Amino acid sequence: MKLFRLLLALVAILAVSAAISAQAPMPDDNTLVIAQSVDIDGWEPSEVNSRPEANMINHVFATLYEITETGVLEPNLASGISYSEDGKEITFTMHEGLTCHDGEPLTAEDVAYTFNRAGDDANGFTGNTAGFVFDSAGFIRAEAVSELDVTIFVERFQSVNHGLLSEVFIHCKDSYEAMSLEEAAQTPIGSGPYKFVEWVPDSHTLMEKFENFLPREAGFDRLVWRVIPEASTRVAELIAGNVDVISNVVPDQADAVNMSGVAEVQAVQGTRRMYVGLNQREQYNDSEGGRAIKDTAVRVALQYAVDVPTICATLLGTECERMSSMVNPPNDNPNLEPYPYDPMKAGELLDAAGYPADDNGERFHIVFQAGSGRYLNDANVVQAISQYLTDVGVIVDLQMMDWSSEFVPALRQHNVGPLYFVGTGGGTWNAQYDMADISTPTGATNYTEWSNPEWFALRETLADPSLTAEETQDIVNAMLEVMYNDPPWLFLYFQPDFYGVSNRVDWQARRDEKVIVYKAQLAM
Amino acid sequence: MGKYLIRRLLQSILVIVGVTLLSFITLHIAGDPTYLFVSERASEEEIIATRARLGFDRPIAEQYISFLVNLSRGDFGNSLKARTSAFDLVMERLPATLELTLFAMLVATVFAIPIGIISAINRGTPVDGGVMLLAMLGQSIPSFWLGLMFILFVGLQLRWLPISGHVPLLKPLFAGEFDLFLTNLPQAIRHLIMPALTVGVFSLSRNARLVRSAMLEVLSLDYIKTARAKGLVERKVIIGHAFRNALIPVVTILGLEFGFLLSGVVVVETVFSWPGVGRQVFNAINQRDIPVVQAAVVLFSFMFVLLNLIVDLLYAVLDPRVRLE
Repeated sequence: MKLFRLLLALVAILAVSAAISAQAPMPDDNTLVIAQSVDIDGWEPSEVNSRPEANMINHVFATLYEITETGVLEPNLASGISYSEDGKEITFTMHEGLTCHDGEPLTAEDVAYTFNRAGDDANGFTGNTAGFVFDSAGFIRAEAVSELDVTIFVERFQSVNHGLLSEVFIHCKDSYEAMSLEEAAQTPIGSGPYKFVEWVPDSHTLMEKFENFLPREAGFDRLVWRVIPEASTRVAELIAGNVDVISNVVPDQADAVNMSGVAEVQAVQGTRRMYVGLNQREQYNDSEGGRAIKDTAVRVALQYAVDVPTICATLLGTECERMSSMVNPPNDNPNLEPYPYDPMKAGELLDAAGYPADDNGERFHIVFQAGSGRYLNDANVVQAISQYLTDVGVIVDLQMMDWSSEFVPALRQHNVGPLYFVGTGGGTWNAQYDMADISTPTGATNYTEWSNPEWFALRETLADPSLTAEETQDIVNAMLEVMYNDPPWLFLYFQPDFYGVSNRVDWQARRDEKVIVYKAQLAM
Repeated sequence: MGKYLIRRLLQSILVIVGVTLLSFITLHIAGDPTYLFVSERASEEEIIATRARLGFDRPIAEQYISFLVNLSRGDFGNSLKARTSAFDLVMERLPATLELTLFAMLVATVFAIPIGIISAINRGTPVDGGVMLLAMLGQSIPSFWLGLMFILFVGLQLRWLPISGHVPLLKPLFAGEFDLFLTNLPQAIRHLIMPALTVGVFSLSRNARLVRSAMLEVLSLDYIKTARAKGLVERKVIIGHAFRNALIPVVTILGLEFGFLLSGVVVVETVFSWPGVGRQVFNAINQRDIPVVQAAVVLFSFMFVLLNLIVDLLYAVLDPRVRLE
């Protein structure tokens, strides 16, 4: 009986403790709570590698310029930019009176230090700055030429360099020289609109408004970034009023959010370009599918075989626009119409290309590889694509692979396919940013090793700093037309993104996957 | 007893080394981890340099031996992502996982024992049938689904308990911050209830059935009949005579239980946004952060082996016929 009494006592304690406060405290009017699915790995500004990490760190560390939601580059820590005649020296002029969060004045010397520290091989940084920005921009070194002017030296002129260099998170020299890399990863001293206060890994991060941030004033006094990996839990927390903004709402939960009366789902056409790569490497010549997609006519025919709008409407939970090229609107070629779904035409083109259907309706077999769990409803999307291709006689052997252990290593070595499904991040601010995926025939992100000579010849002409914006766009349009007629990709869609937003806040989701909340305010 | 302990400790070391070898091989045959540490646009030179920096260019056997040598000095190396001590990172998360696991064990034992006893002494009645039906359900429901149902109904609809998150309990206790421990206690328990029930329901159901069958077996033995014939009250027969002997299979299960519950927390930590070792290891596996995975594997193996040793020692206490040799 003692046992039963003990049991009853335990139940009573639990019930009482549950009743002590029946509801979790909701965020106050000065606090904005954002929930993402993954946490930051560390606070080293040069090691940021993923969008969720960048979202958080972007509020602690400011950049020289900032890309707005409409794709415009706006001054941030810098007030202006100028180029040398050959475009290889880019000088940013800093605002006066800037400070880092520890009170240290932020000058051109700090900016130069930031760049040179990120590029220092001894530090072994592999994040976005060192691994992507510097590679893409051809960064050489940075030098403070006066208290407020800093010059960045690059290998070549590119119109994207301005935006690329604006992805670097600026920090102060003295504080970071005094810290080890381990300390820098734990206790950031930033330059942005919010000060870092507390980080409990995989739980939450607390930030407080930095009153001395001159470029602009932040809306909320405090930001709390919660890590909630499970999508259903994020939605439940949003509906319960415990969080204000959540990312990656699963489309089939959108109705639950919209009908809750406390929050709404914002669906935006993202900038991530989803496509099926048509790998051109010699190694695939051994297979009939690999040989077939070497033929431009076959690659064009396949564009007509897949009903992209239906995939969007049924599997992604929203209407979406089919890509006509690798460039996001509004920087794309307006004269190119997305390929329509026309399986009859696909069949005719395949017949004409020398791949007639046999008695079983089969034309050729091909391997299609995809990672799972990376993109919105990816497993179902690739199955749908496989079925569409099979319907026109292209018999697909679909191979689902583990994303990180199998697919990524193979993709990086250009060893996926000959068909493979992937999405690549893009932007709204410059066509060449999106086109950088295919920079050379064997470039790291040219996974298909497509080598159309006309494309690369046109690309060379873009490296002229005297080109006007119109002239640049004409070249871009010509390049996109080349790609349209000789496609290395089976163009699919710009991945839609879904955000859940509490009715108590005024915040608008962006197309470029960035969650920037310092402009958010309480709804009127 | 001393010889037995030494033999078991040596066996434990072998087990731990074997586990590290298995996990090491598994992580490496999954592909070259270097690509997860370089950007998309990294050049071949950069990839080679990164591979060398991370030590992945050495033969696997050499990497493993080097790991064992460092391990013998208590050095697990630094996390490849966070660049800080892998062991410290795991230890930082361990209290949260221990809270969840211990609370789940509490649920799985404290509730299971009376339920099993009640079911056994009411064998064949609707009470027994109902309890066993519930136990069957408890073993059949996936924890992932159960967790989400708790969140939707208890957390969201009824608003009785927090939907997700964690309030530290053991961490302040280990740090000697008793005031903080006491302050956190009510909220910590509220945060623990749903995740712990989710983790523990399977074990609770299994243990209840186990206690029931063990009790039924013991209750049919002659010494119980003798006890009753002596005129002992039924409560003393059940608790004093039958229950102690019925405990032996339950104690055996408890040793394994801890390992089972630890493996179950990965999913539950994800559903309830619980910042524990399970999620940490899951992320580390995806990121091929091998030092963190190895630190967690060694720590978990050690705890599992230690608990089983304690269980074996408990046998002798519970059943004097058992001799440790």
